[in-house]
Amino acid sequence: MKKTTLVLFAAGVLCAVQPAQAHHAFAAEYDSDKPVTLSGTLTKMDWVNPHGWLYMDTKQPDGTVKHWTIETSGPNQMSRRGLKKTDFKAGMSVTVKGYQGIKDPALANGRTLVLADGRSFYIGSVGGPNDGADR
Amino acid sequence: MPSIIPALQWLEGLAWTTAIRESSWGHPIIETAHVATTVVFAGLVIIMDLRLVGLAFTDAPVADIQRRLFPWQMAGLVPSMATGLLLCCVDPLRYYGNVMFRVKLALLAVAGINALAFHWTTYRTAGRWDEDPNGTATARRAGAVSLLLWFSVIVSGRLIAYNWFN
Repeated sequence: MKKTTLVLFAAGVLCAVQPAQAHHAFAAEYDSDKPVTLSGTLTKMDWVNPHGWLYMDTKQPDGTVKHWTIETSGPNQMSRRGLKKTDFKAGMSVTVKGYQGIKDPALANGRTLVLADGRSFYIGSVGGPNDGADR
Repeated sequence: MPSIIPALQWLEGLAWTTAIRESSWGHPIIETAHVATTVVFAGLVIIMDLRLVGLAFTDAPVADIQRRLFPWQMAGLVPSMATGLLLCCVDPLRYYGNVMFRVKLALLAVAGINALAFHWTTYRTAGRWDEDPNGTATARRAGAVSLLLWFSVIVSGRLIAYNWFN
């Protein structure tokens, strides 16, 4: 009986530690202190599970082009927010608000997508700061 | 050695893998089925392991517990492997490049070998010790190793979703 109690106690401790990590990888991969607003040209969209990816080029102040990779939510959530795979065409102008990657400065977690026609969508995926983008 | 990458690219480009990869419901349903059936399998393996270690159901013979659990373990394992394989086929390049996926595969192989080794050696003699609450030292070790391995398989599987180590 003592052994069983010990096992249950250990399991309880493990469960208690878990919420600190929550279920999101946002803090591990993205810097909530580095919000970015990117305006440029969409080069590709991967409409895939579990999360989608936008690839876009932005012009830097020095004239060079920066290739960004932006994480979005998956097909199910994107669809429910009113987006379709066919909304994304290479060459179209887009504006993305999000947060820059910690390790990779050309990576960002997308929060808001604004299309050329002015329509705006929440594309957030893995948690992130409470910045109102999802409202 | 020829690279496996072209084969994975071919797999990724197929119509049905692409359809599942881009689906609204297909992929989440397969993922959920993978987790649910894994839970059935792992939960029943843990029961057997706890008996081997001498922590649970010590008043029942090992062989009796194993005989009753085995069909249900397989009822979990077979669909778990099928859905797992399906998920790999749907996004092969992503899994190939994922460190935790490789760790999980390696752990799965070791866990499988541990289970087979136990059944082909120690378990053969179970008739002589299976009513003993503590079994034999080898059986206890096999149970403890199995617990550790399956726990690690689950943890590494969950960590595939996080690119922390890539």
